Formats: sequence, structure tokens, C-alpha cells
Amino acid sequence: MKIVLVFDQGLAGAGGKSNPNVGLNAAKGGIGSALMIESHFKEIGAEVVATLYCGNEYFLNNQDEVITKMTAMCKKLNPDFVVCGPCFNFPDYAKMAAMISANILSKTTVKSCAMMSKENAGVIEEYKDKTPIVIMPKKGGTGLNDSYAALCRLIYNTVNNTADLEKVKAEVCY
Amino acid sequence: MMAKLEKFLMPVANALSKNKILSAIRDGFLVTVPITIVGSIFLLISNFPVQGFLDLMTSIFGAGWDAYLGRVSAIAFDCTALLSCLGIGYCYTREQGVENKIAGGVVALVSFLIITPQRMEVVVEGAAEAAKFSGLGFTFLGTAGMFLAMIVAIISVKLFCWATKKNLVIKLPDGVPPAVMDSFASLIPAAISMTFFFVVGIIFAMTPYKYAHYFIYEILQAPLVGLGRLSGFEVIYQFLSTLFWFFGINGPAVTNTIFGPIHKALTLENYEAAAAGLEMTNIFTAGFSDFFCNFGGGGSTLGLVIMMAFLGKSNRLKNLGRLSLPAAIFGINEPIIFGLPIVLNPLMAIPFILTPCINTIIGYVATITGIMPITSGVQLPWTTPIVFSGYLVTGSVMGSIVQIVMLIVDIAIYYPFFKLLDKRYLEDESKQSDTVDELDDLSFDDLSLD
Repeated sequence: MKIVLVFDQGLAGAGGKSNPNVGLNAAKGGIGSALMIESHFKEIGAEVVATLYCGNEYFLNNQDEVITKMTAMCKKLNPDFVVCGPCFNFPDYAKMAAMISANILSKTTVKSCAMMSKENAGVIEEYKDKTPIVIMPKKGGTGLNDSYAALCRLIYNTVNNTADLEKVKAEVCY
Repeated sequence: MMAKLEKFLMPVANALSKNKILSAIRDGFLVTVPITIVGSIFLLISNFPVQGFLDLMTSIFGAGWDAYLGRVSAIAFDCTALLSCLGIGYCYTREQGVENKIAGGVVALVSFLIITPQRMEVVVEGAAEAAKFSGLGFTFLGTAGMFLAMIVAIISVKLFCWATKKNLVIKLPDGVPPAVMDSFASLIPAAISMTFFFVVGIIFAMTPYKYAHYFIYEILQAPLVGLGRLSGFEVIYQFLSTLFWFFGINGPAVTNTIFGPIHKALTLENYEAAAAGLEMTNIFTAGFSDFFCNFGGGGSTLGLVIMMAFLGKSNRLKNLGRLSLPAAIFGINEPIIFGLPIVLNPLMAIPFILTPCINTIIGYVATITGIMPITSGVQLPWTTPIVFSGYLVTGSVMGSIVQIVMLIVDIAIYYPFFKLLDKRYLEDESKQSDTVDELDDLSFDDLSLD
């Protein structure tokens, strides 16, 4: 099972708040925070084939370009699933993830989800009907590992289109 | 094993960080932090560890110039219980979901003052008996009243919020300005809290303790602060803080609910000892915890970041190290906590958890053997860089030297793990350049955007 990750600069290991203007980048395989989720991906036989990322300020200043190009790249890579997250409680990244995931789902046949904490209430409210958004804790909150397990359940059931899919969605998403 | 450990830690972290009382105490103390930092700056100037500077100041401003500075540090340190009571009251009102938070804070403050001694005795040399005067004494508003302030804030606000939620309020007709409405709405709840502590004061007056301050200090504060003087105290704190971080949980936010008040009391006791001209005896102050256990953020990752920046062979570590170094100097390591990552990365768990513990042991040994002076009651922003912080909290160059030794030890602990990670990333990078496939030319520039 092939996975593509969509990160911001912090999760990609391209610097934190000090480096918010990183442009669009694509790296082969999983980088940065991908390592946190790797063991969970292995359990469902998934592998990260590429990580796409850009800085949060770059996104805010070039929203249309970022969304269009990220979507086009996912279409070209044609993975089994795209994960836009984990966004924790980072507001810009959460907005970017929800918009990209919603756009991928509406414009392509690629399956996708976003993942963020409940602190991003505005984004969740606006996009939860347009893309699945997996529940996770805020930065420093409890239950991070469990939320990755939940993410993988969603991926597995979506890709295999199981009968449980709707039930899983109700359990792990907003 | 990691999974089992997490299963055990998660409920503990949840219970501690989501407990309303503990969160209110933790956040309430934070309210006093800027005040104590500003007070510390005044304290540092009046006690600057360079005699030439003090002589210069005396020659310019005359003898006794430091007394003016002392007025600021005295309020910042000697009124800690008072300020904490207000802060905790405010935060606990917020936790209770009652809107008028400042009213809750003020009710806590007033309740604390109601049970505080309001007549002081002054023994004048040569006089037959002690003179009495009306007023509040710093003795009861500072360190010694800290735990009582916590308890009073919680109980008074609990009563206040209970009455408010029960609608035991005076309602004014519509059209009355909201500020007037709020103040009348708080009237009965405030009366309940204040009357309760009026009764508590009378009950204590009938006991040998006379005041709640003496009772709480003796049965609660002294034993708890005593724990902070045990040699294992700081190591346990550091171990737990980083262990939680490894699972992605903000460690200090959990551990400070328990350890925070003890650290604060230990720090203030050193300040008071110094102010009274006595020897400072508490090793594990806030200054020690902030500046002799971790450099560059939780897990003491400054040494790791320096190696990444200057010794890293893989592009990923080298670039991340260089980007993270400026923040790391000021004690911030978020870019590597999630970007390296350290969270949920079993390879980094060992040095991440071990390093702060080793630093703590080195700092402890350096203090008890007299290699560096004991840390004073001075509190600095936790972002103060290494070397400067060591000098300022100990008043000696030896503080800075001990920090540098720790940094070298940190580098040594992280080194094998850093090499392993660097090697792994380097292999990844060379593997990627060896096996050419469509994924190697990933570029956003030549995408077809149909």
C-alpha cells in the first residue's frame, strides 16, 4: 500500500517557526515526523513513497498555487492514500491540510484524509464534510500513539473499502 | 515494553494534566513568573557578583542605593503566596467554567487575607515587652504561606463557583450596565466564601496553632518541601519530564503539577536565607532545574543539535541542525522534537531520557563538593542561554564552567546515537541516488495542472 504524506516545514524537519517560507518541496520516502508513524504503517502493510511539504507562511501567501500543485502531484504519484497531517494544534498547517485533502478528494480519484487536534475547531467545522479529519491530541497532549493507530484503521478500511468503513470513520474522525 | 509503559503513563498524564485543581495551581503559579523574573533582575543588580560594580554604584548613588532596588524584589518574592492565591483563584474559576474570573481571583485573595494574622509583634531592643501594630507581615505572604494560599484559593473559589452555579445571585432588572450586574451577581457567592474563612479563622484561633498558616506549614508544606531536599528529587523530576515527552506528551506540563510548588518553595527559601544573611541550603531550585539539567530544551538536546550542524554527514541532519541551532541556544527544541523526530523514535529515547539525569547528578555533585556555589533564589527566563545563565544564578564563573562540562558530557552521550542516525539517513540518501525511478525527479515545476 503506497502512502503520500503532506507536511509543513516543522514536521518535515526543515526547521520550525524560524523557517516558515520554505517553498513547495517533494522528497522521496518518509522524512521528519514520518518516522513517528512508520511502525503503525508497517502493521497495515503501508509504505510512505513520498513526502510533500511547504512552509506555513508560504502556504498562507500562495494558497491557490499550493493547493493546486499539491493536488496535481498527488494525482501524478497516484498513491493508495494521502495523509495531510498530523497537524496537532498548528492553525496554518491545519487549514492547509484540510484544504488540500478536500481538493484531492473532489478533483481526483485518490483517497485522502487530514488529521488535527480539536483546537482547530473552525477548520474542522468548515471541512469535516468535505474530507475525513482524524482526531488527534494537541502538541504535548496525551494519546498521540493511539491516534496513529486510528489513522491506520481509517487508511486500511478506506483502501480496502470494507463494510466497516463508515463505522470506523464515525469512531476516529470528527 | 514501550507499549506497556505507555499504557501505564497515559492515564497518569491524563489524570494529572486534566485535573482541574492541579491545572489551576500550575497555571496560577505561572501568573507570578513575570513578576519574579523582574524582581530577580532588581535583585541581581543589587547583589551583582562583581565588587567593582557595587563600589561604582555606591560612588554614584551613595550608600544604601540597593535599598531602593530591594523594594521591587521584596514585593516580587515576599508576596509570592499573595500573588499566587490571586492567580490560582483566577485559573480555578476558569476551570470551573464561571465567567467572572477576576471576581473568583479576588475572592481567593480576600479569603487568604481573612485568615492571615493582622496584628504583628515587633520586639524592640531594651523594651520590656513586644510592641504590637496592625498590619500584614511578609512572613505570612511569602514562601511560608504558599501551600496555604493554594488550599485557600481552591476552597474559596469552589464555594464561589458553587453558589454562582446554584444561581444564588442577586438579579438586577435588564438595562443595568453589565459591570454593575456582574458585581451584584458576585455578592452572595463572595459572602459565602468570606464567611466560611471567617469561621475557619475562629476555629484555628481556638487551637494551639492559632493561625492556619502555622498548621499548614507544619503538617503539609514542611514535609513536602523536605522531599525536595532529598538527593533523588531532581533526577526523578527530570526523568519523568523527558519520559512523558518521548510519548509526545508535554512532560513538564504534567510533572509541574506536583513538582512546581516544591521547586518554587525551595527557590524562595534560598532568597529568604540570603536576604536574612543566612546560608542558602536548597540545591534543587528553579534556577538549578532550568539551567543545570537541560540545555537547548527538554532532553538537553543542545549538544545533539551542535553535532548535527557541524558533524552531520547526511543532508537531513546537517540542514535540520543548522536550522535548529539558533532556537536551541535559547532552549527551544521544537524543530527537532517533531522534525528529527525524537517523539516516538526508540533510537533517541535512551540519550533523550538519560542526558538530563546525568546533568542533574553532575550539577548536584558540583554543588555539594563546592566546585560551584549553590544556586540562589534568582529566577531568570528559561530562555537565558548557557554560560550566561550559569554565571547569573550562581554568581560565579564556576557555574558557567560546570555548564560547559555538562555540554561536553551531553555531546558524548548523544554521539553514538547521533552517528547511528546519521549513518541510517546517509544510507537512505545514497540508496535514493542509486536506484533511479520516477520518484527521484519529483518536482513541482513541471507538473501538468489540468
